[in-house]
Amino acid sequence: MKQVIKVTVNGEYYEKEVVVHKSLLDFLRDDLNLTGTKKGCDNGDCGSCTVLLNGKPINSCMMLAVEADGCEILTIEGIAGGKELHPIQKAFVESGAIQCGYCTPGMVMAAKALLDENPDPSETEIREAIVGHLCRCTGYDQIVRAIKKAASYLNKK
Amino acid sequence: MKVRGKGIACMYFGMGNTGKPNPSSAFVELLEDGTANVLCGAADIGQGSNTTLSQIAAQELGIPLEGISIISADSAVTPESGVSSASRQTYISGNAVRLAAQDAREQLFVAAAEMLNVSPKRLSAKDGYIFLLDRPDYRISIGEVVTHCWRKGKVIMGTGNFNPGILPLDEETGQGVPYATYSYGTQVAEVELDTETGEINIIKITAAHDVGKAINPMSVEGQLEGGASMGVGFSLAEEIVLENGRIKNPNFHEYLIPTALDMPDFDPIIVEAAEPTGPFGAKGIGEPATVPVAAAILNAIADAVGARVKELPNTAERVFMALREKVDK
Repeated sequence: MKQVIKVTVNGEYYEKEVVVHKSLLDFLRDDLNLTGTKKGCDNGDCGSCTVLLNGKPINSCMMLAVEADGCEILTIEGIAGGKELHPIQKAFVESGAIQCGYCTPGMVMAAKALLDENPDPSETEIREAIVGHLCRCTGYDQIVRAIKKAASYLNKK
Repeated sequence: MKVRGKGIACMYFGMGNTGKPNPSSAFVELLEDGTANVLCGAADIGQGSNTTLSQIAAQELGIPLEGISIISADSAVTPESGVSSASRQTYISGNAVRLAAQDAREQLFVAAAEMLNVSPKRLSAKDGYIFLLDRPDYRISIGEVVTHCWRKGKVIMGTGNFNPGILPLDEETGQGVPYATYSYGTQVAEVELDTETGEINIIKITAAHDVGKAINPMSVEGQLEGGASMGVGFSLAEEIVLENGRIKNPNFHEYLIPTALDMPDFDPIIVEAAEPTGPFGAKGIGEPATVPVAAAILNAIADAVGARVKELPNTAERVFMALREKVDK
């Protein structure tokens, strides 16, 4: 069974027919070709599929595309300003916060959601904000440092 | 009651495949704009070998890092460099890239020496220029020399091939030289333990590792931090549970790996004891970082309560059982 949904993704409006049992993650990746959002566990455990839904971070694998009808979605593709990296992305690159890169899009989106709400988070608040995001490579320290650095970039603006 | 303990563990780890040839190779081509293309089969799976290998080429050629383009792990165009395993790419592919860059630089210096009318031995290169060692202001850009060569019909192209100095192990005696060199490390773990429940809280890990030379210190720190998190998981929680040949915990909510809140305070210490056969003295750090973690934690538990857990992961339950066993004795 299919249903038409209306969503705004990264500022672009879409009206698309979608299979009702398709996850928002698969809709973004397969129907809109936005493959920056990663499919890690497809189980709600790893956080790599995180996108912002009306500004809040969610696991897009745990939501049906039809449930996002009428919502505004921001994915990793939508956060940079053209060729200019978003300050969070810049801080990640500069801090060595990326290794294999699989958790990175989700981490960046989680960081954005945190810093939008709390521009000057403590280390514990940063760690709490990314606790649902598994990273096998980095041990998290450089990611935490990157988010601190991103906060200082954003606060300077 | 909460008690605290400290534990130390040391390790050494062979670089590359055990007792077997495992060569790497690379091509370096110099371009007329003074930049270089590096081709090497080494796969960067996130550990940062593309950056490290580019840095090695840049240093050897005297070209700024921005002037190095690397193509790696494309078997259609890159020469063989073995697998990204055995903590071998910095040491082995790093050497291959350095040799290829050296080869290209020697050709470049011969041409530059002709242009400057001096002996190639008097030359050095830095920041994109070739200059006289005793008169650094007397210089010529690398791009100019490459262009000059091209006009005379010569492309400057270096090749490098490196195989660690091993001797195969004798099948009967097991004797030989399994590795050309080793990486060394010592870690200290500080834990707090609840004697009622066996629950362990790791407070701090300090990891000191000899990497020969840290080509990219930020990458080395990343490897050390990542290694610590894998070690913490290995120690406290990670266990594949099999039942009749089937994995009972195939999901991340059953097979638990450390989260950002599970990681203790971590202090990485990079030790640089230059390895004579390494590129600029470098050795590998991928796996060594994970090796001593669990042992240091188990030693810290023994220090705290005088009981030994002999099975990993040392879950609260196993620690509790070890404590009971000690009381029963």
